[in-house]
Amino acid sequence: MFRKLKVKKSCGGFVFVELAISLPLIILLMYGLASVSLKIFELSKNQLADYVLEEEAHYLLERITHQARAAKSVNATNSLNTVEFFFHTSAEDTLLHEELTIDDVCETQWYMPHKKKGSQAVTVNAKRQDDDSRLNPITGDNSFGETTLVKLKFSELRNASGEDTNVLHITLEMKSLVTNRKLKLSTAVFMPACESKSGLPHE
Amino acid sequence: MKKIFSNQRGFALLNVVLLTLITSFAAMILLNAVPRAKNPQSTLRLTALYVANEQFAQLESLATAGELNTGNYSFQGKPEDLTTENAGAPIKFTVTTNVTNGSGNLRKVSVKVSWKFNGKDFEIASERMMRVVPKTES
Repeated sequence: MFRKLKVKKSCGGFVFVELAISLPLIILLMYGLASVSLKIFELSKNQLADYVLEEEAHYLLERITHQARAAKSVNATNSLNTVEFFFHTSAEDTLLHEELTIDDVCETQWYMPHKKKGSQAVTVNAKRQDDDSRLNPITGDNSFGETTLVKLKFSELRNASGEDTNVLHITLEMKSLVTNRKLKLSTAVFMPACESKSGLPHE
Repeated sequence: MKKIFSNQRGFALLNVVLLTLITSFAAMILLNAVPRAKNPQSTLRLTALYVANEQFAQLESLATAGELNTGNYSFQGKPEDLTTENAGAPIKFTVTTNVTNGSGNLRKVSVKVSWKFNGKDFEIASERMMRVVPKTES
């Protein structure tokens, strides 16, 4: 009995003191770690969303300028953020070595915005058919961050003498629906083979 | 009280070591993530690249009209494209262009786009060869 009491006496109150000091410390540490983890998660999510925004705007503008460069005609509808390029891909069939008619080799490319029902995002569709289908979105639907088209405007630049220059000016504005950050890119492309233009205001 | 503290058996050191390890890991991850989130240079570089392309397009149009001469050119595109808010605050681009003679009808066009961000200077430089179409006398 005496020995038992002696052992208890030597440990008396120690566990409680340790708990009283360490518990608040552990809670404080856990709270700090949870805050840091949440902050890191939030930063990573925003970084990815901004990266997606930049990547999609870059891809869309690069694709439009590439096709505008070869365009025979351009038809823009700025109020609808829409553009139509008509261009010829080849003047000769390289396999058969015979001349083709223009109808055989012409290509048409539309870039049209589309908003899905119940979604905030406006995606851009690239399509070849003159129908109402919006089946080929080239922006949006990205699990790392949703984006939306804000503006896609086209105009024609003039030179210092006020003459037409066949230079198409493009302004693209997109927004991330995760961070609400907007990205606006403007550029111009020279269209050496362009023969007709419509819907392009002069700048 | 004195008796209670004299009974400590070395785990305080282990606590400190673990605590230091955990907090330093957390600090390391956080410090690694923060500067990346606040660096908009890639966005500014992309915007500047398209501004340079705008200048190239206008000069190519001049070359096709037979009017691209050697010398320096100011920015020929839309003046409002020289300011961007893609990095949060407005950033102003400066475009300098120099055209020199190449062989035959070719001209070497150098376009530099520079900007200032957080007190530091940045620049992208690109070059293109352009063929000047000789003017036909009407």
